Amino acid sequence: MAILTLGETPIPIAEGQTVLAALLAAGVDAPYSCRAGLCHTCLHQVIEGTVPEASQAGLSDAQKAQGYFMPCVCVPKEPLKIVRAGDLHGEIEVRVAAIDRLSHNVIRLCLEPDRTFAYRPGQFIALRAPGEVIRTYSIASHPALDAFIELHVRVIPGGKMSGFIAERLARGDRLKISNPAGTCFYEGADPERPIVLAGAGTGLAPLWGIARDAIEQRHRGPIRLYHGARERSGLYLVDELQALADRHESFSYRPCVLSDSEPGAGDLAATVAGAETDPANTDFFLCGDADLVGRLKRELYLKGAKLQRLRADSFVPAA
Amino acid sequence: MPTLYERLGGAPAVDTAVDIFYRKVLADNRINRFFDTVDMEAQAAKQKAFLTMVFGGPNSYTGKDMREGHKHLVAKGLNDSHVDAVLENLGATLKELGVSDADIKEVAALANSVRDDVLNR
Repeated sequence: MAILTLGETPIPIAEGQTVLAALLAAGVDAPYSCRAGLCHTCLHQVIEGTVPEASQAGLSDAQKAQGYFMPCVCVPKEPLKIVRAGDLHGEIEVRVAAIDRLSHNVIRLCLEPDRTFAYRPGQFIALRAPGEVIRTYSIASHPALDAFIELHVRVIPGGKMSGFIAERLARGDRLKISNPAGTCFYEGADPERPIVLAGAGTGLAPLWGIARDAIEQRHRGPIRLYHGARERSGLYLVDELQALADRHESFSYRPCVLSDSEPGAGDLAATVAGAETDPANTDFFLCGDADLVGRLKRELYLKGAKLQRLRADSFVPAA
Repeated sequence: MPTLYERLGGAPAVDTAVDIFYRKVLADNRINRFFDTVDMEAQAAKQKAFLTMVFGGPNSYTGKDMREGHKHLVAKGLNDSHVDAVLENLGATLKELGVSDADIKEVAALANSVRDDVLNR
């Protein structure tokens, strides 16, 4: 009898066999390389059951907390249900509790789940609209501070999902979301050291959640949030962020508008790299389009930032 | 007598070496295009596997794995000069960590032993 399940598919596994060997023997096209628990190529996520500690050696605390493990060195001792790492699984019905505009091209969507929905601020979900349109969005809300799951949706000209949300979706409508995924959240940050949150556009969504989570969890080091936009009209939650900075001395907010000639304006990556003088002792959270996140990550890493302390989420537009 | 891997300090030494080595190759204009990827964690993990192998540590790599894993890079123009540059960075990394010249030579020999597989020839 199979004690290993991949998604919904039972995978036969023999006594003493590794999960990777079982997946490959069952004809699953599982990626792998070193087969020694080093290269992370075969990373999967356990969603039911507990994996042996050895199969998580070398992973970050955030990854371990999410059940990430390496199938190539995992000989299970109990039934496991697993998915490929980062796969969005599950289906939760939600009701649209509120829908409004945060700026000319950003919609705030507040969703009320039918059942308990546990998540960490900064994680993302897949949103499913009628017609099998699926897009991923970061969660901007905080489970202890906000009543609803809040998403920031950028309205993209011709965008299937954002067009549907902007033009047809109304309060009370029902949608489906996946379970949360991703490891870009506060846990694992050093409470004494600076936290830097940098994002452009709706990359602010997860950062807004993480910043408030850090404050909620009594982070003792400074928390600096940089929000980049091409035009001033692309900034949003400006009053809320300013109010947060006024209430908490340790929190600061710095908008970076690319087209502005005012002081402090300019490219987000250049501003952050220039202003942050001690990357080696800072926890970074970077969110936004893949090009910006890639540039920032590389630059900060070369300036001494630790890879394990550079958490990032890249937004990739749907094809 | 301790093995090369033990002399170098085992798994913790590999972690330290990866951090230095990865920064070096990313800053090296001769080869950084082969290492530039958005998924830096995945890249660092691959280098951890590579360094474990050339340190003589536990690994299951086969020549076939090496060939498969570098095919796309060979198609992008990966050649001997790039392998040389990688080995140069590897040597400089070990020197920085205070590894003896004799051990550096041994590591270089292990790295060189996969050169033909890496270059798919």
